[in-house]
Amino acid sequence: MSTILRTLRNLRRVGLKDYAHQMQNIGDTKAGTLIGTDRWGNKYYENMAEELPLRTRWVDYKTNWPEWEPSQIEPGWHAWISYLVDAPPTADKLLQAGTRHFEAPEHRPNLTQTRAAFRTYSTTRPKYSAWTPVAAPR
Amino acid sequence: MLPMARPVIAGALARPQLALCLRPQSIAALSTSTVKSATALERQTPTGQSLSASGKLRTEVPLGSQEKKEGAMQYALTTLDQIANWARQSSLWPMTFGLACCAVEMMHLSTPRYDQDRLGIIFRASPRQSDVMIVAGTLTNKMAPALRQVYDQMPDPRWVVSMGSCANGGGYYHYSYSVVRGCDRIVPVDVYVPGCPPTSEALMYGIFQLQKKMRHTRITRMWYRR
Repeated sequence: MSTILRTLRNLRRVGLKDYAHQMQNIGDTKAGTLIGTDRWGNKYYENMAEELPLRTRWVDYKTNWPEWEPSQIEPGWHAWISYLVDAPPTADKLLQAGTRHFEAPEHRPNLTQTRAAFRTYSTTRPKYSAWTPVAAPR
Repeated sequence: MLPMARPVIAGALARPQLALCLRPQSIAALSTSTVKSATALERQTPTGQSLSASGKLRTEVPLGSQEKKEGAMQYALTTLDQIANWARQSSLWPMTFGLACCAVEMMHLSTPRYDQDRLGIIFRASPRQSDVMIVAGTLTNKMAPALRQVYDQMPDPRWVVSMGSCANGGGYYHYSYSVVRGCDRIVPVDVYVPGCPPTSEALMYGIFQLQKKMRHTRITRMWYRR
């Protein structure tokens, strides 16, 4: 989804270093304004004027390729990047994470298939006990 | 029945009174609910070593980021693994086991909006040429032998994605007389995608999780360790 002219125009704006970084991560050359950075370090960009609809907001993950994934986005920023809200959480009092009593103090990404993943365990006593069958000699 | 229950209730009532008799404490200490902190379950031996919940000695395992490579062999094998894993995760050929409405969402994944072709995913109709089986939909008792046969025909390495509530654990049809309560009773499942049906994005995220699993598979390193 890119023309040579658009790539060159954005390359001139973002510079060679960011160009290489973007090609490694999002596979496109995009120029926009930095809206904010969350506590983990993900950077959120926006370009409402030039990009196509639903491509106007994007994130530059702190985690390097290929370990980044969308669950590393904090809930408030997720609402912003999914077009649920217009204002980023930095401008919205309610969306600033951690201000409400039921919110976790820090965001936890999806820990599936890491060593921190949840595993079921039982704290109750087993309801039956196994025995070793002994065959009586005949 | 009733005389047995009475002392239990009396004991439950006595506990907060005991807490009130003590010196002023925080509100949390006066709570009648059970303690939920993670250390409450931790038991210790008389010598002070901590025990796990099952009563065995705790073994401390380093995190994946704390493990260090030793020697040239491990560096070489890590590179080999990375190459093999890159090849695996960038050309997934799923065997489509579409059984119900989840299959429609699976079809949406192949349409231009989600465009699975850019991930190297091509649906194969033959189990002998596929790596991943996506079980999409209700698995009935009648279909279960066919599912197992198709899984057995797939060449190694093979993975299974269980898509939707019905494939995960029976879902809506859990109490039906004719439905397998989860396809993990028939085949080993790698990724469970929840939902009824899961959206195409959810299935795609499940595929990303499967790619993550492939990426962290230590193929030759485990062979070398043995």
